[in-house]
Parts: sequence; structure tokens; C-alpha cells
Amino acid sequence: MSFLFPLFLAGVAAVGVPIVLHLVRRHTRHRVTFSSLMFLRTTLPRFTSRSRLENLPLLILRCTMLCLLALAFSRPFFSRPDAARDVRPGTRMVVLIDTSASMRRAGMWSKAVNEARSVLEDVRATDRVCIMSFDQNARTLIGFEQWQLLEPTRRVPAAIKQLSELSPGWAGTVLGQALVNAAEAIQDDEVNEQQHRTGLRQIVLVSDLQQGSRLETLRTYEWPEGTELVVKPIIAEGTTNATLQLLRNRDDLAAADSQARSPVRITNSPDATSEQFTLRWADRTEANDAGELTDVYVAPGRSVVVRVPNRADESAGRELILTGDDHDFDNRLYLAPHLKQQINIVYIGSESPDDPREMPYYVQRCFGASQALNPKIIFHPADSVLADADIATAHFVIVADVLERKLVGALRQYLQSGRTALLVMKSPQSAATVAALTGIDNLQSEEAEIDGYAMLDRIEFNHPLLAPFAEPRFGDFTNIHFWKYRSVDMTQLPDARVLASFDSNEPALFEQPVGTGSLLVLASSWHPSDSQLALSSKFVPLLYSILEYGGVLVGHRSQHFVGDSIPIPRSPMPALSLPNGSQPADLKIRKPDDSVISPDASQQSFAEADQPGIYTIESSAGNRLFAVNLPVAECRTSPMSVEDLEGLGVSLGQSSSVPAELVKQASRRSSFVDLESEQKLWRWALVALLAVALIETWLAGWLIRPQPVAGR
Amino acid sequence: MKDKAAPSEPAVTPRKVDGMIDPVSLMRIKSMELRAKVVVEGFWKGIHRSPYHGFSVEFTEYRQYTHGDDPRYIDWRLFARSDRLYIKKFEDETNLRCHLLVDHSRSMGYGSGDYTKSQYAGTLAATLAYFLSTQGDAVGLATFDDQIRQHMAPRNRPGYLHRLMLALETIPSGKTTDLGPPLQHIAEMLTKRGLIVLISDLLTSIDRLESDLGYLCAGGHDVVVFHVLDPAELSFDFESPALFRDIETGRDMYIDPSAARASYKDMLNKHLAIARSTCRTLGIDYHLFATDRSFDLALLDFLHDRMHRRKRIRRAGGSRVRSTV
Repeated sequence: MSFLFPLFLAGVAAVGVPIVLHLVRRHTRHRVTFSSLMFLRTTLPRFTSRSRLENLPLLILRCTMLCLLALAFSRPFFSRPDAARDVRPGTRMVVLIDTSASMRRAGMWSKAVNEARSVLEDVRATDRVCIMSFDQNARTLIGFEQWQLLEPTRRVPAAIKQLSELSPGWAGTVLGQALVNAAEAIQDDEVNEQQHRTGLRQIVLVSDLQQGSRLETLRTYEWPEGTELVVKPIIAEGTTNATLQLLRNRDDLAAADSQARSPVRITNSPDATSEQFTLRWADRTEANDAGELTDVYVAPGRSVVVRVPNRADESAGRELILTGDDHDFDNRLYLAPHLKQQINIVYIGSESPDDPREMPYYVQRCFGASQALNPKIIFHPADSVLADADIATAHFVIVADVLERKLVGALRQYLQSGRTALLVMKSPQSAATVAALTGIDNLQSEEAEIDGYAMLDRIEFNHPLLAPFAEPRFGDFTNIHFWKYRSVDMTQLPDARVLASFDSNEPALFEQPVGTGSLLVLASSWHPSDSQLALSSKFVPLLYSILEYGGVLVGHRSQHFVGDSIPIPRSPMPALSLPNGSQPADLKIRKPDDSVISPDASQQSFAEADQPGIYTIESSAGNRLFAVNLPVAECRTSPMSVEDLEGLGVSLGQSSSVPAELVKQASRRSSFVDLESEQKLWRWALVALLAVALIETWLAGWLIRPQPVAGR
Repeated sequence: MKDKAAPSEPAVTPRKVDGMIDPVSLMRIKSMELRAKVVVEGFWKGIHRSPYHGFSVEFTEYRQYTHGDDPRYIDWRLFARSDRLYIKKFEDETNLRCHLLVDHSRSMGYGSGDYTKSQYAGTLAATLAYFLSTQGDAVGLATFDDQIRQHMAPRNRPGYLHRLMLALETIPSGKTTDLGPPLQHIAEMLTKRGLIVLISDLLTSIDRLESDLGYLCAGGHDVVVFHVLDPAELSFDFESPALFRDIETGRDMYIDPSAARASYKDMLNKHLAIARSTCRTLGIDYHLFATDRSFDLALLDFLHDRMHRRKRIRRAGGSRVRSTV
């Protein structure tokens, strides 16, 4: 018999207590009733030492109780022969191998493979193993079931073969999710395979534990009890690592400077030993860029922003290379060429665009050229014929006058094709144009009577058009005064949705669907004699919001990261985007390694950006480039502390630095705990203790039963 | 409470040791009246062997007639024989009025044997009552602890003795012993002089014993004290240490008898000596009875003391009280 807590057996020494109490005790058991104690004085208790034990059965019973108590606390169990010890429950183990981009550093991957191999070689036949790799996502290479189906002798070679076929990718490290997946895999296997006797639950993590690892999933995850994480850290040889990051230019829509410089941030690692780096173009051997070299000084743990001048040749993608650090996996930054979106805006009205007292003047100022947009405004008189080509290529139409009948048809067709137009009611007569465009016979409208001025009220901020003004700091329209507006009888437009009203409850801006498009009607105008709208800070955002609502402004971010889900544009060329949003049938995406992917027509995004570089969207309408770079976090390669994981609730197990003897002892103790928990002999000891206690109680009561004493 | 055994048919015949009735055997008789009868009748049988005979002789005295004496008391027969005028002087013809004061305090409930001090005291009182009643004397009873609990005035009527016996059979349920208030109360109640028999264990403060008994003596009563103690109280022959509980106060005290015995006896003897000397000072007959003492001897000692007391009174000039004892 063995004991889990043999120190408790020292409690057997307490057996001496009742013996001593039997030998030396105070005889106060008898009680005598006496007539009067007036002649008596109390005497000191007398202790008698007896060489002879009284009530021997009682003493034996009490000593037995103490022995049983000590036995129960020492948690006894019957140990099994050594031969049978190998049959003890195996370990459920998940080997989790980091294949993120940071593992591409020199020598790291071979170390990781060797570490994983040594772990697998120690696996016993009773263990259940799952091999997973992870970067941005976790992937199961060999599952528990698959492992169990293999011949025991072929399991480890098959796993090593899988490892040899594995190589690090370019994605970031989402360590938290990978650990959660591994822990859940163990739990799932325990549920699915309950026949397998459970021993240790272990996750062996082979990773460089870079600081850029994302752990936020662990914050909301309760780590399962009994699952240990064993970390096999892979240490890099050099610590200096500088990285490149393209910063977003916030004023894409504002500046039209062709000589704008792209800001690039260079960050040095905190544990770097080098501070001097060189920035150059990858194709510097070409004649036009041969001399472009920049020396950058970045202190350890600091970053520097360098503005790289745009190149004259914008058609091709570019590649910036940083040199001077120990690891070059993150030393390349790919830059897609800037693309300007061509927007055609048709303004139908007879005013002069150069007169600041007229409305076109402000429209022209609003849609100036910028880095991202190349607007083209076509001013067209209301009484002339509009060319079909103009209406077909128009992205946005502003109607500021009463339209002739012949123009109404073309504009109605324009609206029915799904596009958007803004009609500004300069006079009550514009209601006839609204009625003609919406297809009703007549629309009542008259000049509203205003006492002083009117303001906007009841603005539908939940409408996409006005949503940008939803924040309280942007939603104050009370400083825009309207001196004139036209009241419209909305009962004749049942489908119209009022987006904003005047404080007299008359509609100020409403949307009337026409076919698949929509007609926005402004019941006043931004003419200086009508309102202060053109001079307010809301005017430009409102027009751009109308453009965005009409689907004209396509957010085309040319900077993406590996692993991102990249939206596929409706057309590779923004100027030629199709109004119905469909993709060209022959759309292809060419990756940097010249492999070609043909997305389905219904596919909205592209998820195969698994390597950095310049990607090309090819179609018959033209080509478009976008750049995919390494995730910024992945470049933070300084190792994190293992205690960070422990702080998130992860139970850390034995690491490789613990001596093998200690591990063996812990393993043996674990097996003892299992044996003891199976046998639970302490319960029987307690049962025996209770039985002896009952006998002792009965015997003691019988021995001290009332007997005639000297007194009455 | 009516006894199962009829007084004429004792369930147990008391065993006699050296001609004396064994108290243990006697106490097995349930009826108090029967117990008293057994003792007194046994006493009369044994009195023929008693060295104290002649105590019942009446006393008369002649005195020469002087002027002023009542001529009704002139003994004319003597005048005829001697031609001298003598006055015939008689003792008081009134019968004895005896009051039995029985202690019913809680300490009297103690007994190391088969019966308690209270039972012994009750039997002793019943014996005296029966004895006196057969002599035609009036016997009354008062039980007390720290005050009078029960009182029966002295009477000599048919059936009164039986009531008195029943009163003696009641189980004592008193509290602590305090002689002062009850004796003072009795002294105030008794207007005629008589015999007062106090039966108690006197386990109370001895300091006030003289003043307490003085109440009775001040009324001109003859007082007899029967100090009843259990043999265990006298010898304190307990063996093993034990937790002793005071029967009156309920106080517990750890006592090792072997260690406390000498001290106990010393203090008890001092207590007894004080009680005895106090009684002697007050002219009170004092009798210490262990409860294993035969009632015959107790009655004999009592009568012996009474006889000596009569002689003492005669020598002192004569008493006006004529008693049959």
C-alpha cells in the first residue's frame, strides 16, 4: 500500500494522547450528593500515575479511531506493478506550430521543426496527438482521430513527414485564437472519445512568441482546467529588426499635388543593436531611379517617418527595400500606383458658373481636382438638347432649372437605370419637373411664407445620405438660415421619404424613387438669395455624401495586408465602373508569383492574398494594381514574456528547461493521484472510523452507566 | 398517605441486636405509627431489665401551716394523728404539653444507607409522640426549614395521634436550614410552658444557635435537642475522590476524601462541641444520634435524662411541673 500524503501518517503519534490520558487523569467521574459542604474545603485535583491501563477495549477503540483518521488523511492506495504502470492514461496533446511570417527569419523554421520533432519522438503509444499549424488561422494537419487510425509505429513518422512539408507563410500571428482552437480540440476529443482514459491535457506551442502576436481572444476565454501549455520558444539569432509601414494620406481628396510624397514609417525593434538603415527602390538599377538612396537613423524602439517622393511613372507598382537589419522578411514595402477616379457631373441650369451670386459657382468650387478624384463638370442649359453620351457617362446630375419636355425623358431614363440626381427647386414651377420625372400628373407647390427665416428640423440621420452628420458635433444645422423655400404637397408623392424638414414641418429635402434610381429634391436652393447653405460648412460634405449615396465614390483602398479579405471592385478602372454593380465576365486576379485566380461573378471579396506584393486585377476593360504588404504587427518580432500568457489565464506546464527527473517525478505523482482517485480508499477508512466511533460510544456509555456510589 | 401494611400486622418483624431494635429493620415498616408502636412496646418489655426504675413515684410535700394559708389545703388526717396543722403541697397536676419540632430542610434528605435523616427523625418523633400519648400527654408537631412549614397544636384526643403520624410521613421539601425564624415563631405561639423536642441535624451556622434556642428557654419551656446525623457525616468515610454536590445549595466541589477527612472531622467536632456547650449553658438536654442508633436506646437516653433532670429540680427546690416522665 502506498500513500499520497504520507506525512499525515505522523498523526498516528496522536495515539499516545488517549494512552497518556488513561494513565494520568483526574478522577472526577463520580459525583456524590452530600448534605452540606460547610465542613469541607476544596482539594487540589490529584493526578495519579498508573502503571496499569484501565478500560483497555475503550483505549484500543480510541487509538484505532485516530489511526483510521490518519490513514484517511494520508490518502492510501494500492500501487500496481511496474509492468502495469505503462497502461496508465495517455496524454491528449496538441502540437501547435507557428507558421507566421516571422518564422521566416534565418534559422527559425529549422529550429521549430527540430523542436516539434523532438516532442513527437517522446510521444508514447497511449497518447493522443493532434498537430496544428497556425498563423492568422489555425489549421489541423493531423487530427486526434486521424492519429488514432494510424498504426502506432507509423504515427510519429507520418507526423514528421507532415512537418517537413510545412513551411512558414506570410500571414500574421493570431496566437490567442490558435490556443483557443487547440484547447477546444482537446475538449471536443474528450467528448467524442470518452473511452480513452484521460491523463494530462497538454498543448505544446512551438513559436517565436513575438510581441506582435494577437492574444485578445484569450481575454474572453476561460482556460479549461487541467489543460497545460508547454512552450517551446524558438529564439532568433539576431535581435535587430526594422520594418516598413505605409501611412495613409488623409488628404487624398483635398490635394491635387502631383509631387505629393508617400509617408513611410520605419520602426526599429526595442532590442535592436543596429540603428543605421538604408532605404532604396527595388528597381534602382533602372536609369530613372538609379540614384534614389536614403540613409535612415532609427534608435532602438523608436520610429521615423520618411516621405518618399512619388515617381513619375505611376503605371507600375513599386517596391521599397530596407537594408541594415538582421531579418529581411519584413524589409519590403509594396506601393500600388495612385489611381484617380474620373467623375462626370452634369449641371443643368442656365446660370453662369463664374458668378459668385449663382449656384454653379459653388458647385464648381466644391468638386475640385484631388489625388483621388478627377471631377468633370458639364454645365448644360435647360433649354437645349442633352447629348446621349453625356447622359450615359454622367455619374451625377444636378437639375437647377425647369426642364424642357425633351430633357425629362432622358433624365428619367437616367434615373431608372439606378443612378441619382439632385433637383433644386429654385421656384414653384420646378414642381412640374418633379412631377414629370416621377411620373405623376401634377404636383402642387407654392412659395412658402416665411416670417424671418426658416431652419432645418427633423433631420433623418439614420438615412445613409445624412448619416455622416449623425455625430452631435456635425449635426448642428441651426446656423443655416433659409429665407425662401417652396412648400410641396407631399400627399401626391406617397412613395417619397422626407429626409429633412423645415421648422414649419414643410419638407426641405426628400427622396423620390424613380425606377431603381432615386431623385433627391431640395425644396430650397443654395442660391445666396435663398439660403446660407452654400456658405455653410455642411454644403461640401452634403454634396459628397450625395455622390457616395449614389454609388459614385468607390472607396478603393490600394493598401492591403496579407490575410485580409479584399473587396473586388465593380470595375478595375474606377472611371468605367458599371452602374449596375456587376463584374466583368473576364475578371482575373494575378498574384505576385504570376499565378492567376478567376473569382466567381458573385464573389464580392478576394481572400487569397497570402503573400506580399503587387496584385493585378485584369479584365478586358483594363488592369488595376493593388499592393499587399505584411501585417504591421507581424513585424514586431521581439519575444514576449511567457508570463503574459499566464496573466491571461493560461495554465503553464513544464517547459523544456525543467530537468527530466523532475518531469518524471511529476508524472509518477500524477499517476499516483489517478490511482488514488480511482480507488478512493480514504472513504472506506472513514466508514471504518465511523463504525469504530459508534462502538466506542456504546462501550463508553455502557462502562459509565449509573452505578451505586457511596452517596445516595 | 395510607400505608399498605396494617398497623396490627407489621410486614416486617424488626430484628433485634443485643436486645435492641435494629433501625434498618425498623425502617422497613412503612407505617410511621406502627414503627412508633413497635419501639414503645418493645421499650416497655425491656424496661423491666432497666436500671432506671422508680422514676414515676409521685412527689408530695408537707409544710407547717402559717397564718394566711388556705385552710382548704390543711391535711386533716395528719392533724388528727399529730395534732399539728400541716399544709399538703401538691405538684402541678396539669399534663405535659410536648411540642415536637422536626427539621424538614433539604439536608435532612441525605442518607448514606437505606433511609434518610428525615425518615429517622420522623420515626424518632413518632416514637416520642406515641410514648407520650400513651401517658396521656398532649403532643403537637411543627415542621420547619427556614420557617414553619406545618404546625399542629398539642392535643390529646382520639385520632389526633394518627393525624400527627400522617404529618410526619410527608416527604421533606424544604430549603436550607435556619433555626432562628422558626424557633422564634414557635416561642411566640406557645403561651403555656411545656416540653419542646427539637429534632434537627443543626447543619447551619452555629454562631446564632444560642440566641435561637434562647427564645425557647426564655419562655420557661423544657427543651430537648436531638441532633441527628448520618454515620457518613460523622465519619466521612468516602474512599474515592469525587465531585461533591451540596444538597441544599447545589454547589459542586471537588473533594478528595482522604485528603479532606481530617479537616472535615476537625471542623465537625468543633461544631458538635459548640452545640453541646451551648445546650449545656442554656440547660437544654442535648442528644447526638447517629441514624444507625437504635430507637430503644434513644428513648432510654431521653427518659434517663428526664429523670436526672427531675432530680436536679428537686434538689434545686422543687418544680411545679409534674410530669409522667
